[in-house]
Amino acid sequence: MADRINSNESEGAFNEFIEDRLEDLVENILNDGNLDTRGSEVIVDMEDIQPPTFSYGDGGQGGGKGQGPGADGEQISFGLPFDQLMELVAKKLNLPDLVKQGQGRIKEVSYEFKTFGTTGVILDKKRTFRRALRSSIGMGSYSPEEEKYDVLIRRRDRRFKLPERVEKPRFRAVVFYMGDISYSTWGERLELEKRLVQFIHHWLDWNYGPGNVEHRFFVHDAEAYEVQAEQFYNVSNAGGTRASIVFDLVSNVAFNEYDTESTNFYGFYFGDGELFDDDAREITSILEERMRPSFNRIGLVEVKPSRASHLNKLVGETFANDRVIRLCDIREKNQTVEVIKKLFGGARAEH
Amino acid sequence: MRSTRTDPAIWELEQRIKYWADEFGRTLPEMRFFILEGMEFASLLEKKVYPVSPINIWEGKSMVSRRYRIQEGLESSIYYEVVQTGNPSYGYLNDTNSPMMQASVIAHVVGHCEFSELNVMHDSDEDRTERVMHICRKVDLGRRQMGDLHYTRYWNAAESVIDLISPNSQYNLARSVDTDAHTMRAQEDPGEAEEREGPYRPFDSTLDALMVLEDRQSAFEREIRQRQRQETLSRRGYKLRAPCQDVLGFLLHYAPATPGEQSVLEYMYTTHKTHDFVIRTQIMNEGWAMYWENEIMHKLFAERAVGDIIDYCRVFAGVCYPRPWFQRNPYHLGYNMWQHIKQLYADGKVSLEYAEETDLDRRSSWKKPDGSDPLKHLEHLVRTVTDYELLRRFLTPELIHEFHLNRLHKRMAQRMGINPRDVVQEDEQHVWLDPVPVKNEMLNFFTHFYRPRIYLIDTDFQDGGLLLFHRNDGRKLREEWIKPTLRNLNMIWKAPVALISGTTLYGFTANTYKETAISEVSFEQVAQRLQRDEKPFNIG
Repeated sequence: MADRINSNESEGAFNEFIEDRLEDLVENILNDGNLDTRGSEVIVDMEDIQPPTFSYGDGGQGGGKGQGPGADGEQISFGLPFDQLMELVAKKLNLPDLVKQGQGRIKEVSYEFKTFGTTGVILDKKRTFRRALRSSIGMGSYSPEEEKYDVLIRRRDRRFKLPERVEKPRFRAVVFYMGDISYSTWGERLELEKRLVQFIHHWLDWNYGPGNVEHRFFVHDAEAYEVQAEQFYNVSNAGGTRASIVFDLVSNVAFNEYDTESTNFYGFYFGDGELFDDDAREITSILEERMRPSFNRIGLVEVKPSRASHLNKLVGETFANDRVIRLCDIREKNQTVEVIKKLFGGARAEH
Repeated sequence: MRSTRTDPAIWELEQRIKYWADEFGRTLPEMRFFILEGMEFASLLEKKVYPVSPINIWEGKSMVSRRYRIQEGLESSIYYEVVQTGNPSYGYLNDTNSPMMQASVIAHVVGHCEFSELNVMHDSDEDRTERVMHICRKVDLGRRQMGDLHYTRYWNAAESVIDLISPNSQYNLARSVDTDAHTMRAQEDPGEAEEREGPYRPFDSTLDALMVLEDRQSAFEREIRQRQRQETLSRRGYKLRAPCQDVLGFLLHYAPATPGEQSVLEYMYTTHKTHDFVIRTQIMNEGWAMYWENEIMHKLFAERAVGDIIDYCRVFAGVCYPRPWFQRNPYHLGYNMWQHIKQLYADGKVSLEYAEETDLDRRSSWKKPDGSDPLKHLEHLVRTVTDYELLRRFLTPELIHEFHLNRLHKRMAQRMGINPRDVVQEDEQHVWLDPVPVKNEMLNFFTHFYRPRIYLIDTDFQDGGLLLFHRNDGRKLREEWIKPTLRNLNMIWKAPVALISGTTLYGFTANTYKETAISEVSFEQVAQRLQRDEKPFNIG
């Protein structure tokens, strides 16, 4: 009888099985899933899958009869390794690798001594001695009770350090999230914004490696200033919106605090797109003159735009179909995937 | 997982319980108890209570989800009792339970093990767990032969047929399929014999010949049919004589399968065939276990072997909480039924004299014990009847009302659209319905178990196809699951499969799914045609 009852193998089989299905589910997860993370896992809620049988599916009608095995609407939740989801996202949404052209791949290859083998150049003395001691005890040549202290190091006891290929990110990235926190941004708008910010956060983390991406949050109402991540969604109740000042601030931060040669810049603006006066013209000029040449990607997202939203329309006059500057709007939760495609899809980012 | 021998306190409790079970004169198989950790426990449940079930994604799915729920605190990992009966029986204890709970679980398992030994359906068999472990090894070997991909597909296909196991049905394998091994027995079928004999029963062969005027035509047809049957049997080794409800049993024996596939089907069949026993005797079984758990625990409390009597009362009351009849709480109903029946025998109320007594006063104050031990009568019931008969015989409308089987929470009644005219009593929170129809509803459960009744009616439908028949009980099958289920069956049978449900014929052949409108045939028609050796169903 088994010493320990566990389900490891079956869980592994399920994970493999689910990988195929997940490809179909990625869009649903991005559109409807909660994208919560727990450690290195993303919590996936999905509709329960069950082996089909001949059953009555009309639920508990008529006095609770017919509770078939496939009670509808049941959800299962489980943690999916974060990398795996992002890989699937990349594959499914056909998103390109984010590459800084002219300077090679994001990842750099190096070799570290991580594994051990029976042949090699650098002897691992500790491991070798431990093995030798073990076999000497086994063979009886080392036995303190009998006052035998011979430790024989046989050829087969030798262990060598072997190099292993390690990919390390070569470039750092910094992401500027810019948000409009004037009083009109709340409720569903905020939810949509959060969802997109979370995705961008995960997506760039995955591409560059979690430690190599700096996420910075900027907000504006009538003024622009930097905030902590958790304050990004706090809505101020100041009226008035000037978006150009946040672009101005971000471009200053980018050029003054980072090395433009080795840093990948990303900027994403979220707002309702309602502008005052000649805001759009100023934004256009900042984008064109200062940000576009150095940024990998700049996204302007109008969240639930109204009739008074003119940002994208006016900016679009200059940057329609631009490779770096992407303009989009999101009205419903289920447009998340579409927006992500618009923001990251298409031609490779250049600068 | 470790044996109870490794824990002196639990080992001592186990010995005390076995001692008391012996004192009460219980008939018990060898019982082995093991202590499991929380996740091991959850895992064991997903393995159908066999510690080494083969790899499958459904177990994986449940465990992945359950692990998440337990970690997030959405679900507790405490499950009180898990037992695999048979001889020897294996009981599994959760190491997070208190000693009092462990004792109650062991005492409960004693009840289950005895029921399994005594019951009329002869559930208990030798080395059940060991046999399944052997099959698991075969499945594991099969997996390596089949390759993981095919293994997973085949396993998933077999999962679809699990509900189609009916080893104790009127239409089980032995009664519905002739094999070359059973040809002789088939000819002795009483139904057929009766049909042949006709209304006369002559005592002498001469008189027989004179009185039964058999025309030559029918004699000739019978001869032909007999020959065809023999030919089919010798060609294929089996022939359907009646609709077969044990579809997985049939596939296990007659579907073309590699040894690996065979072992998967064998595992499915062996591990699930006992469900039929469980569902047919659940009320008696759980009631019996609760009854003996209660008796033994009283002794343990009396001799101070365990403490926490208040906790025990709380757990007991929670388990035996009355629920409406359709939610079936077998613990509550079973325990109270056994107590009630014991009292009936103790008062001598199970007698002709009592049944014929018309004076209400005398009936209510009836106490004429016949001196026999009521327990002997209970054991006799266990040995002779299943739930259906127990309820039919002893459950009265008064008892239904007393046990609150007809009681619904008001919210639930509202949701179910209960007509106020059907309510016979009500308080602030609950309503009580008329108990008389409830009994019939409860008995009806034993004909369908809330599941569709699917029969195998033809094994040579449209050139070697398998034809299944859904017996109409006024409800439709879940439409979107018919196609994937047929596809799975197709994978096992490796030839066309079809299903008749109502006025539609659903077919799956060579990766093509087809629905055809047909005129409805009744189950009786199909059964009669099979009996007459005709095709049970033809299109057009």
